[in-house]
Amino acid sequence: MPSPIALNASALRAAAHPAARPVAAWLMAGVMALLLAVFVTVALALAWAGPAAAQTVRPPANATTNILPPGPDMQGGVLGNLSDGTIWHNIRKGAAGNSQDLRAGSGVLIQSQGDDWRLIRDRWVLPIAWKVLAGVLAVLVVYYAIRGRIKLKAPRSGRVIPRFSLVERVVHWFVASLFILLGVTGLIILFGRPFLLPLIGPGAFAVLASAALQGHNLFGPIFIVSIGALFFTFARGNGFRWVDLKWLLKGGGMLGGHASSGRYNFGEKSWFWWASLCGLALSLSGLLLLFPDHLPGFLQGASAEVPPERILMQWATLVHAIAATAFIAFGLGHIYLGTIGMEGALEGMTRGTVDETWAWEHHDLWYEDHKAGASTDTSRAEVRAAAGDV
Amino acid sequence: MKDLPDTGPATPPPAPERKIDAQAAIDHFIQGCGSHIGSYLDACIHCGQCSQACHFHEVTQDPKYTPALKLQPITRVYKRHKAPLSGVKRMLGLVPPELTPEYLQEYEELIFDSCTLCGRCTEVCPMGIDIASVVALSRQAFVAAGLGPPDLLQAAETSRDKGSPLGLTAEVLRDRIEWLSDDNEVEIPLDSETADVLVTVSSIEMMKYPDSIVAVAKLMNAAGVDWTISTKGYEATNFGYLAGRGDIAKIMITRLVDAAESVGAKLLVIPECGHAYGAMRWTGANILGRPLPFEVVHITEFVAQMIRDGKLKLRKTEESVTYHDPCQISRRGGATADAREILAAYSSDVREMDPTGNHNWCCGGGGGVQAIGTAADLRHAVFQIKINQVEATGAKTFVSACANCRLTMDESREVLHWPQKVQSLVEVLADRLEN
Amino acid sequence: MSFLELTQGPLWYLASAVFVIGVLWRLIGILRLGRSTDRSVARASGLGGALKAIALHSVPHGGNLKRTLYHFLTGYGFHLGLFVLLFFAAPHVAFIKGLTGFGWTPLPRWGFLIAAEAAFAGLILMWLRRMTDPVMRRLSDADDHIATWLVFVVMLTGCLALQEAHDSLRALHLLCVEALMIYFPFSRLMHAFTFLFARAYTGATYGRRGVTP
Repeated sequence: MPSPIALNASALRAAAHPAARPVAAWLMAGVMALLLAVFVTVALALAWAGPAAAQTVRPPANATTNILPPGPDMQGGVLGNLSDGTIWHNIRKGAAGNSQDLRAGSGVLIQSQGDDWRLIRDRWVLPIAWKVLAGVLAVLVVYYAIRGRIKLKAPRSGRVIPRFSLVERVVHWFVASLFILLGVTGLIILFGRPFLLPLIGPGAFAVLASAALQGHNLFGPIFIVSIGALFFTFARGNGFRWVDLKWLLKGGGMLGGHASSGRYNFGEKSWFWWASLCGLALSLSGLLLLFPDHLPGFLQGASAEVPPERILMQWATLVHAIAATAFIAFGLGHIYLGTIGMEGALEGMTRGTVDETWAWEHHDLWYEDHKAGASTDTSRAEVRAAAGDV
Repeated sequence: MKDLPDTGPATPPPAPERKIDAQAAIDHFIQGCGSHIGSYLDACIHCGQCSQACHFHEVTQDPKYTPALKLQPITRVYKRHKAPLSGVKRMLGLVPPELTPEYLQEYEELIFDSCTLCGRCTEVCPMGIDIASVVALSRQAFVAAGLGPPDLLQAAETSRDKGSPLGLTAEVLRDRIEWLSDDNEVEIPLDSETADVLVTVSSIEMMKYPDSIVAVAKLMNAAGVDWTISTKGYEATNFGYLAGRGDIAKIMITRLVDAAESVGAKLLVIPECGHAYGAMRWTGANILGRPLPFEVVHITEFVAQMIRDGKLKLRKTEESVTYHDPCQISRRGGATADAREILAAYSSDVREMDPTGNHNWCCGGGGGVQAIGTAADLRHAVFQIKINQVEATGAKTFVSACANCRLTMDESREVLHWPQKVQSLVEVLADRLEN
Repeated sequence: MSFLELTQGPLWYLASAVFVIGVLWRLIGILRLGRSTDRSVARASGLGGALKAIALHSVPHGGNLKRTLYHFLTGYGFHLGLFVLLFFAAPHVAFIKGLTGFGWTPLPRWGFLIAAEAAFAGLILMWLRRMTDPVMRRLSDADDHIATWLVFVVMLTGCLALQEAHDSLRALHLLCVEALMIYFPFSRLMHAFTFLFARAYTGATYGRRGVTP
């Protein structure tokens, strides 16, 4: 049933108060400004860091050194029952010996797991991660080149219906802004050494890495809060249903034909759970990395063996990198579809409303539910939305 | 699905003969922009919390009814002509454009129809900006430019020409008082040679709620006060003040001052009318340009004092009662506690609204909005807030102490088919007098 | 002259001068607009009302907290966080000591972290609300956005320089701070001072009427 308040959105928008600006433009401007801020930081830092790097770099203010107070002389006469070869073999395997230093892990000369960790990280995680990210980007570029923007099949109706509430939009963009900040700084930390260092040299890279690390560490905890808010704000309606399977079998309508969906389709629901799980993994591993000295007691060791928190940290860096790659990879697709990939999608998250044609073509079941349950209140919201007062 | 109620009044079609003199508005703004206004305009951070306190925004949820928006016309002038450092900005071309007739017309509805000068927005403002006072100044500037609702301006001019906005001339006043006095067998002194107390009337009461006048007379007589009403100056309402006509505001005040001086009254009692109290008590001396030669009290203050002094004795009722705070008497008048004292003496079951006292919601018709025809739909919508408040208390009797509130509420409750009677505090008191 | 010497030397003094003179000029200018005396008979003290209003408008009152909870939480988070960072972050304390000779106990690192989180979250959330809430969108102008972003960039560069190991990062932060200081007196950032005037004038008006607004 068509709404009795058939208002022409563009006419009303034109009649609306001139001070009302298109929110999308401002929002994009904001995100651009954010990126600009990061790039300006980088550029300026590089410009000045290059030649004079040697004079302008100091040890960090909180740096500690490992010089121990002088102890008693080493005892002589250390001939043992093992052959030298075996001793060195054991040491290479991470065996713990005795040390004057009583701190945890000090008895281990070569921490063998550390080498394993390094190999996993450098030989497996990093190469796969950058290939995944580059691959996703390439797929998107190719898809856009071939298929182009997914346009609305029917002309816009001029009528809009509310899609995302103020709270939902605020939470979304809160997460999004932190995602960008942490994503950029995180990628610098992860890939800076292999990709940036050869390009910009050690002096500039040291500046960049220091800035990225500090920024990343500081924004991390807020991100945990934001991802929690995201989960609770969007959990409703994101449970999987039978209709999602049908949607999936139809390839989301990309294979031709119409794929029915409720408020969120299978892709969006997957993205929600993917983001939540990656967010959880990133949060937990991130906390371990941020506060290695503040682990709960049962995770801490005091023996000469390699302390468990160090092994945990090694695992945490791997989990953090893998989860981040997974998050960013899916996120690229999400950003693509939300902006240039699909006509009419972005306004749901900026203005809060979508055109009825868009709703019908992409979320027909939701559209019908909405029309059936439309009350005076929601209709009034629609009228205001049409007038630009979202 | 039922059709939507109209969420806002249509802007009145600008009469073709209206000539808008934007420069006059600019001059008025420049002249009126004192340091307090400058502080307000420089402090507003556009947070929009004021919208949460405004009844017009509350019922429509329309962002245009954000109180802070009403600061924008004067802000333009301030930033262009008056703000410190605006010279530097002008050199860089960073000052806002000059006011235009079109711009002023766009804001006309916001400045007149949809502000009751109730001052709720000030409470919620983190900067404590007194938006109502800026709107009052803006009204003067708009009127100087030739804008403003014709009916409100007409009411002001009628007050000047006939003594009262509702055509209550001295002769009509004499007739009606005679009639009221005879009908109700109560003595109402008119034009006594001398009196301690000059009682003023609101023409709304005299023409629409004459029982109020009778009730005031009964209370005055019971308390043994030496009082009178004077045909030299009787109209307490001041539509010159509400319509932004400073000249008429001054005439209205001068009449009352002359009347009080001629009978030698040391006390002037304002009847149940909110803005009349504010206009006389808090701005009278400023408009007049010299201190008032008498004390000004609202009838609730006066009655509370009589009860305190033991001059009025009431038979206390057990019936539940709730009180609507007229904004200009409670929040912007400071007589909040006096009404509470009276209520405590009147009934053993006083039920406060939520919110109440200085935080109470406006009836929707204050600040002259009652007299603006195009604002009618909007204020009827606003009245729903009051209905909800009153019903939540479950009180049997619903009183207020402002004839303008009462008229607004009576009109709105007819439109909204709400059966609850709106009564006057002095009327219900007069019925419970002991002797 | 290195980037750091520039931002710690001439630029710093220029920005400080613009800030101090500009703010004073504007505040004195506002006061010099003048105000006619109120001839009405006061019911209570105007000064008392002004002081009460200054205190009272710092906290929610009048039963509106529920309606303005978002602004309350984000506003408090940002302003308290920023205040703590500004005056108690260890590098800032050291900087002030270098300038004036006066120093005080700086925050421990955990305190810095909490303050920074609150300030960032508050600022971002307030700006997002500005972008999405119809009321705030209609009110906002370029100044609102520029001020928000300047403050954001200042806080961001400050955090990026947290390791205190690179002069270029320190200089970058200083450069942003100087841009903010020069922008300050010409903008709505002045509310950091004018809020006192606005509250005091309203408080005095209402105070004379025996009302605490």
